Amino acid sequence: MLDGLGMLLGGITHFLTPLSLFNIAWATLLGIVIGALPGLTATMGVALLVTLTYKMAPDQAILCLMCIYSGAIYGGSRTAILLAIPGTPASAATTLDGHPLALQGRAGLAMGLATTSSALGTVIGIFALALIAPLLAEAALKFGSYEFFWLALFGVVISGQLTAMDDPLKGYIAGILGLMVAMVGMETLHAHQRFTFGIPALGGGVDLIPAMVGAFGFAEILGVIKRTAQARIVSSSEDRVVPKLSEILKYWKTTMRSGVIGTFVGIVPGVGEDVGAWASYAAAKRVSKEAHLFGKGSQEGLIAAETGNSAVVPGAMIPTLTLALPGSAAAAVLIAAMFIHGIRPGPLLMTESPDVLYQIVAILLFSTLAILVFGLTLTKPLLTVLSVPRERLMAVVYVLCVVGSFAITQRMFDIYVMVAFGIVGFILREMKYPMAPLVLGIILGDLLDLNLRRGLMLTNGDPTPFFTRPISAVICLIIVLTILMSIPAISMRVRALFDTRRAGIDR
Amino acid sequence: MTDQIEEPAGGEAPAMIKADLLTSLVFIVLSASMLYGSWTMDRLANRRINPMTVPGLVPGLLSLALLICAIALMVRSVRTPSVGGWLDLGAAVTSQAARRAGMVLFLALVYTLGLVGLVPFWLATGIFVLAFILVFEVWLAAPRRTLRQSLPWAIGLAVATAAIVTFVFERAFLVRLP
Repeated sequence: MLDGLGMLLGGITHFLTPLSLFNIAWATLLGIVIGALPGLTATMGVALLVTLTYKMAPDQAILCLMCIYSGAIYGGSRTAILLAIPGTPASAATTLDGHPLALQGRAGLAMGLATTSSALGTVIGIFALALIAPLLAEAALKFGSYEFFWLALFGVVISGQLTAMDDPLKGYIAGILGLMVAMVGMETLHAHQRFTFGIPALGGGVDLIPAMVGAFGFAEILGVIKRTAQARIVSSSEDRVVPKLSEILKYWKTTMRSGVIGTFVGIVPGVGEDVGAWASYAAAKRVSKEAHLFGKGSQEGLIAAETGNSAVVPGAMIPTLTLALPGSAAAAVLIAAMFIHGIRPGPLLMTESPDVLYQIVAILLFSTLAILVFGLTLTKPLLTVLSVPRERLMAVVYVLCVVGSFAITQRMFDIYVMVAFGIVGFILREMKYPMAPLVLGIILGDLLDLNLRRGLMLTNGDPTPFFTRPISAVICLIIVLTILMSIPAISMRVRALFDTRRAGIDR
Repeated sequence: MTDQIEEPAGGEAPAMIKADLLTSLVFIVLSASMLYGSWTMDRLANRRINPMTVPGLVPGLLSLALLICAIALMVRSVRTPSVGGWLDLGAAVTSQAARRAGMVLFLALVYTLGLVGLVPFWLATGIFVLAFILVFEVWLAAPRRTLRQSLPWAIGLAVATAAIVTFVFERAFLVRLP
């Protein structure tokens, strides 16, 4: 415990340098702008900026990327409140109450509450990160190939299920497609080339960064330009932006609950900030005394959504750092960036470089402070950013997509990968396939493949330990139940069974 | 595309159901090809590896999983009533929105596959940004802007993007450009 506190203090002092503070300031501000601009998402921002941090020292590079990530998740609330368009998918729930508040002439209050809620949500998540991550990393040291195989599968299945709530089948298909992409290139157990069709560039497999830039960057450009409607900014931001302490504390229970829900959602692999916001919003509405106000400008609803989505960011870092399972799509890019900079996330992180965890905790604390300062002071300049015509913006973003996918390995092939993933990603999005399971599949494919076959090699081909080891058995059971419950015929029968039982008890 | 594929209350739009049917067929072909590729993949028998650890094992299992999901999607699409679905889907594919997306794709492909590598990167970037802004502000916009309104902005942004991207990436961050 004391060791942890010491390392946390070490992490904080490590970044108390002019260069670090400068990086925190510009990266958080850039993140807020990226999040505020409709069509630019947190994942896209982080993926594009990996290139810029390529030549930086590892700690400064991760600092910049983390600040962009948390800044972008917050920045989306601006657009949600003023334009009724979520700047990032994470802010979709914010739109429901944030925009009605703006229409009532309380845009300033809505922006202020969104800022303080985001900060509080991140702080709750940071506590969980500092407390849970070391414990999880220690527990993960006992995991073998069997457990890691099931964890990888669990990540893809649960992400497929939760990111496509209306249609889990499409979520599963997206996840399988991602896993299939990961099968291309040299496999690591026997060093055999798979599905390379004699193309040398495919030997190393499909790189995550160009794939992510395509799926989240180019696909987004196609989607944004496709629409012709331009939203109108609600210009009634004359009221105060800094909320009163009583307004923040009035809904402290909602803040705490949403923070915990957001953190938990973040811990679940591949389930991002949007699910965190919706889950927190739904929970707040269910227990609120003012449920009738939700959707009509409820401050409680706004607080729930913003606390929930921001708490996902530190929550997502828990599996990312301790198990190398990305907690969200943006965290998947962070894993790739960490590998580029020589940091190996996973169970050995706490043994090899425990300071990294506490440095990330410190980074999140600093970025939260920066969000508070920028969010409460830069109201007018951020309004100007929102009025940039998207045709002009998207042209520049595509140039960054090209540079971003080329710069890391300096191969034209990666640009073609970006374009291909952009086209496929756009078509899949139009058909309502979620992108998060696809990305998770690409990053977890190798883990799944290697651990399944390594486990089978250790047992001489006997699959029994995959089902009999306690942790493996539990994860396997959860996966089976998740898949079974997503089949409409089965879930309806189970629900009917419970209803009949409940009716019997009531009688 | 989805501008036309609006979801009616209580279920999927007919166009989406037909689109699902088409994609399920694509996934069936993809999974069958991958299954064949996995089955015929070298089993490294000369290296005497355990047959349960052959390189084709996981791709084979994945293609089977995709095949099952694709068949479920196809059956669901066939069973769900979707009157006028093909017509709606056709209208969506030929809509103004699809035309705009198609134009983005065209410009992006010309820039990426044609200009980059053929002319210096800064020039390719300038041409792309200029063309992109003019096409989507003057031609495919609603309401349209006049060439006189858009051209100064387009030229300014083209020059600025070409200069800033080249300077920031090549000089400040020492990243090579295509």
